[in-house]
Amino acid sequence: MLNIIACFKWVIDEADIKVDKGSRRLILDRVSYKISAYDRNAIEEAARLQERHGGSVAAVTVAPPTAKQCLKDALSRGPDKAYFVNDPSFADIEPSQTASLLAAAITSRIEFDLIICGEGSSDLYAQQVGPALAERLGIPCATYVNKLTYVESERLVIADRKLEDGTETVSVPLPALVTILPDTNTPRIPTLKQVLGAAKKPIENIPLDALGQTYAPRLQTLDTLAATMDRRRLKFGPDPEGIRSVIGALMKEGVIA
Amino acid sequence: MDFKLSEEHQLIRTSVREFCQKYVEPAADEIDQQARFPEDIVKRLAQQDWLGIPFPEDYGGAGSDYLSYIIVVEELSRACATTGFTLECHTSLACYPLFKFGTEEQKKRYLLPLCKGEILGSFALTEPGAGTDAGAATTTAVLDGNQYVLNGSKIFISNAPVAGVLIIFAMTDKSKGTKGISAFIVPGKTPGLTIGKHLDKMGIRGSLTAEVFLKDCRIPKENLLGQEGQGFRIAMMTLDGGRIGIAAQALGIAQAALDESVRYSKERVQFGKPISTFQAIQWMIADMATAVEASRFLTYHAAWCYDQGLPYSKEAAMAKLFASETAVYQTNRAVQIHGGIGYIKGHKVERLYRDAKITEIYEGTSEVMRMVISGNVLR
Repeated sequence: MLNIIACFKWVIDEADIKVDKGSRRLILDRVSYKISAYDRNAIEEAARLQERHGGSVAAVTVAPPTAKQCLKDALSRGPDKAYFVNDPSFADIEPSQTASLLAAAITSRIEFDLIICGEGSSDLYAQQVGPALAERLGIPCATYVNKLTYVESERLVIADRKLEDGTETVSVPLPALVTILPDTNTPRIPTLKQVLGAAKKPIENIPLDALGQTYAPRLQTLDTLAATMDRRRLKFGPDPEGIRSVIGALMKEGVIA
Repeated sequence: MDFKLSEEHQLIRTSVREFCQKYVEPAADEIDQQARFPEDIVKRLAQQDWLGIPFPEDYGGAGSDYLSYIIVVEELSRACATTGFTLECHTSLACYPLFKFGTEEQKKRYLLPLCKGEILGSFALTEPGAGTDAGAATTTAVLDGNQYVLNGSKIFISNAPVAGVLIIFAMTDKSKGTKGISAFIVPGKTPGLTIGKHLDKMGIRGSLTAEVFLKDCRIPKENLLGQEGQGFRIAMMTLDGGRIGIAAQALGIAQAALDESVRYSKERVQFGKPISTFQAIQWMIADMATAVEASRFLTYHAAWCYDQGLPYSKEAAMAKLFASETAVYQTNRAVQIHGGIGYIKGHKVERLYRDAKITEIYEGTSEVMRMVISGNVLR
């Protein structure tokens, strides 16, 4: 038996973002939203562990109330129940605040052995929420995980961490938190019955004031401009003269000094 | 009035898109060029609960509505018209008449495995001498003790080579014309039933289409679907609903033509600018987008009428007429926007152009659609 929490974020589907060529501003008036890519791996991993070991899976998110439709999406992918921490002021929430709200919601309402988060979100990829949440809950955390095994007899998980210089295998006593990478699993495509069944699963609505937490936006997005890439169309040979030219060109551009 | 899809319908669309991206799009070109039936994909359709979408769970279905089914056909057809049609033919033409006219026992025996995707279904009405004129059919069914004996032949029968069960129409009383037609449930392996070779088609090339031959084919008396003489009505009611499915297929094809044209026109540079900056292209894109949107509204509205229990015959005919003619015209435009490359095999718009044509023909030609519509409007 393993009680798992899968945390997820509802993000803009980047495929729908258009860019105004003149101003480089992002045109977001017709975008759709989706569960952040790595968070789908988190939900999938939770669902697979539950299928193997029993227990429960709760999906938890912090978002503005307009994100309500994320709940059925998440529930169609396996979890038994969803918790929706929401307030209209959460539009520009930053990672430490998300972690704090998640910690408050989890501590007050949800029994768990294991929390699974995506390594980072598709929009900001700050990689902060998972470790910060573990810190607030006072539980161990393993990041960059791409393989996760639950050892029932010892109440621990064994996690492979994919690091730059190799793979590190760690064992983590429960309760614990892991943040996982996309190669951990391939998320399922919900079947029609799973989509229809999502509507029958319980959703707990948690408005900000029910958490006894205060929240004041600390982050304000003033502007977002699309990145541009200008090709200089310069050619350099693989000889000392070519290298001198590359360095000269980079210095001229102010890339190096 | 509400033009917004429900959360469930949106999720269904998203799940089909994910499915298509993963399994259908990568295979679509090969399915077309090799005229290969996508057996592997059809197995996955069953796993997704998509082979009995609008039928109750008691009969193996998903217990969803017609609009869900229509969205699935649209999205599958957007990726591969063969796949979309295989599901449409199975659902609309084989499952529906069993659900609507079958006895409880017939439903448990045949509809259940169909909806679960254990077998595929087919519908055999057309004959060499009886297309739109179904009353000219010459296939006969004669009651002999506890069995009907079927003799004759059918042509252009989709899914026939892979069908576990076929709904076959035959004359039980030739003197009564269309009122002498009856419908029969014929298991695919019945002795006396043989399936001809796969016909080499212009489009939807992976969909298996064949002749069906009946030579002293004996089936139990209880395999009569509905009553004797009710066959024409069963066929017409089945095709009424099927037309919404073909409208959805045509819509998916037209949407794909638009998607490809938008993408290509923004990438293709001529005279130093993307061709999307030229008014000639912009107007074509505008007309395509408008026609696709209008097709979608007609198609969804017809499905909504079906789900509400309202009359939908006229609405289905309008949706099919408009969406199929849109698909044919707009895939032509898509090839035009692409120029030479759009005429080359292996390019998606070349396939779409060929796939579109059949939607004006099967499950009632555009001419029959106009008869149905005018008959409703002028009465």
